[in-house]
Amino acid sequence: MQTTHFTSGEPAVVITRVAPRHWHALDDDVVAGRGEATTRPDGRTFLSIDAWHRSVFDRLADAMLADLPTPLYTVVDEVHTDLTAGWERAGFTIRRREWEYVVPTRQRPAAPPPGVTLVPRGSAAEGPLRELDRVIRAEVEAGVGWQEMPAEVLPRPAGDTIVDPALYAAAAEGDEYVGLVRVVQVPRLPRIGLLAVRADRQRRGIARALLADVLGSLHAAGIPTATAEVSEANAAATALFESVGARRASSTLELVRHGE
Amino acid sequence: MANKGGIEVEGTVIECLRNATFKVELPNGHHVLAHISGKIRKNYIKILPFDRVLVELSPYDLARGRILFRYRT
Repeated sequence: MQTTHFTSGEPAVVITRVAPRHWHALDDDVVAGRGEATTRPDGRTFLSIDAWHRSVFDRLADAMLADLPTPLYTVVDEVHTDLTAGWERAGFTIRRREWEYVVPTRQRPAAPPPGVTLVPRGSAAEGPLRELDRVIRAEVEAGVGWQEMPAEVLPRPAGDTIVDPALYAAAAEGDEYVGLVRVVQVPRLPRIGLLAVRADRQRRGIARALLADVLGSLHAAGIPTATAEVSEANAAATALFESVGARRASSTLELVRHGE
Repeated sequence: MANKGGIEVEGTVIECLRNATFKVELPNGHHVLAHISGKIRKNYIKILPFDRVLVELSPYDLARGRILFRYRT
């Protein structure tokens, strides 16, 4: 256990690394703040700090940054300006912005292009689905990089990218899948987690057809809206969601701190 | 002696306010203003009105809190 004493500022706290990835700020025996480091499936380390006072936040950040190798990342709700300012004091800078869209499920049907059929959510065959997912991830990684895509935070078995095939709908062309969409049914507000089409099949309306199909299914189930996160830099995805009436509800900033 | 965090209590989100703050009603009828915890933020868990949540009250100000957990029902 590593302990660092700070006696200046209010309140006076002692920072203790209570576990390899957890820090506490103690004001006598009261936990005045907590810091945590977690590693995402893509290998990047994300920090979080919960503190009741600005000075405690800063002390925790100092201790965590001294203990951890860079680069380090964090996420903040863009309107949470105090928190953003705290991370900026710690040397973090804005790396990217993600919009959260609220998407109406009431849509006009959008037919897929000739030769393409839609496989409803929950009916996609696992083999072609996993093959398509591997292709798409390789394409993204060879292009902008998966780190530029909306966050995936759930741990997965090594070598696997699809935790639950039942969450996916797909677009099929012949014997293979060429597009997929994942819809996670979180309580009361479903989330479009991933919408992707193979690079050589894009710009044919497959993504629009997939999106309209899953949204229509949600509407038929009595669910009026869903959510989706879209990277600000992804112009095609932004245009697609806004064309179906999605509106921006909030934004998340990803911040990074590189080494000295 | 074990270290003490704030008091943890269940509540219901009744309003989403500006600056990423939520008004949470506690079982005793009191309201607290709460931010979400870093763990919730890192996991992109959305908090909506009527969500049942676990709130840690600030040991320095019982009118402030932090949402630690969102119940699934």
